[in-house]
Amino acid sequence: MSPQPDGASVRTKKPGIDPRGPRFGAGITAVLLLVALFLGLVGATLAATVLLAVLALLFLWGAAAGIGRHPWGLLFRALVRPRLKPPAELEDAAPPTFAQGVGFVITALGVLLQLVGVPYAVVVASALAFVAAFLNAVFGYCLGCQIYLLLVRFGLVRRGQPQT
Amino acid sequence: MNPAAALAVIAGLLVIATLAGVIWRARNGRVRDAGGARVNAQSLGPGVEFGSTATILQFSTEYCGPCRVAERVLGGIASERDGVRFLEVDLGQQPHLAGEFDVMQTPTILLLDADGDIRSRIGGVPRANEVAARLDEIEKESRVAAA
Repeated sequence: MSPQPDGASVRTKKPGIDPRGPRFGAGITAVLLLVALFLGLVGATLAATVLLAVLALLFLWGAAAGIGRHPWGLLFRALVRPRLKPPAELEDAAPPTFAQGVGFVITALGVLLQLVGVPYAVVVASALAFVAAFLNAVFGYCLGCQIYLLLVRFGLVRRGQPQT
Repeated sequence: MNPAAALAVIAGLLVIATLAGVIWRARNGRVRDAGGARVNAQSLGPGVEFGSTATILQFSTEYCGPCRVAERVLGGIASERDGVRFLEVDLGQQPHLAGEFDVMQTPTILLLDADGDIRSRIGGVPRANEVAARLDEIEKESRVAAA
């Protein structure tokens, strides 16, 4: 398809979400990842692995059910959003939902590698996921965008075909 | 590792991540001069036409939140100016263009003059006033060249 002057070819037609919601959620996740990192560093490996596994499941939840139905998204809508001004603009939910999938892959790999005996896998995965979540929450950096572009460049995803 | 050392590691990680974020934000969205290569409108798709004085060409993907912000900013600028056209390319549909234009981040934006020559390149969400200022220059040069 040719480029669209109004960008209609790129935008999905789903209802928008408050863009502050995903960043609020990334903030909570970042704090919990730091806790997992601390536990891993002081040698409480089991506790760190369990916490990272819980965070991996939360990422999976966000990726599968959509960012708006993630527990942090629900928390944002129930407790935070009513205290804020209405958002200037709504945001497409697809990009932050994809980012949840990226978070799931990083944290789940950490748990898996730790369980098969790779030392410090939980520590490294927690640190990596923390940096991504922190940069997203504080600076609005989008790691998911970079990963998706890489997948496009390597020919691993293509619009309009079923994704593998 | 004892708890004090673990906290020191975490503090170090926070400092590094903050520095990385500050540097990223300072560089992101800046309008940079880019040399000469000419873009053929037809290579972007059948029936694509450039603006008569300048074209804003944005490369996006479906899962790129900042692309939606850039789209609003740039679409607004183009709609306020005669002869300036905003075009958006979905790299998910035309992945070969990512290699052709060396797109390493989304959104990546090219500012083209009336001939389709690349004049500026922007990685990330641009600042509206910087894009407007650069378009003023490109439009002025187009008028001088045409006269």
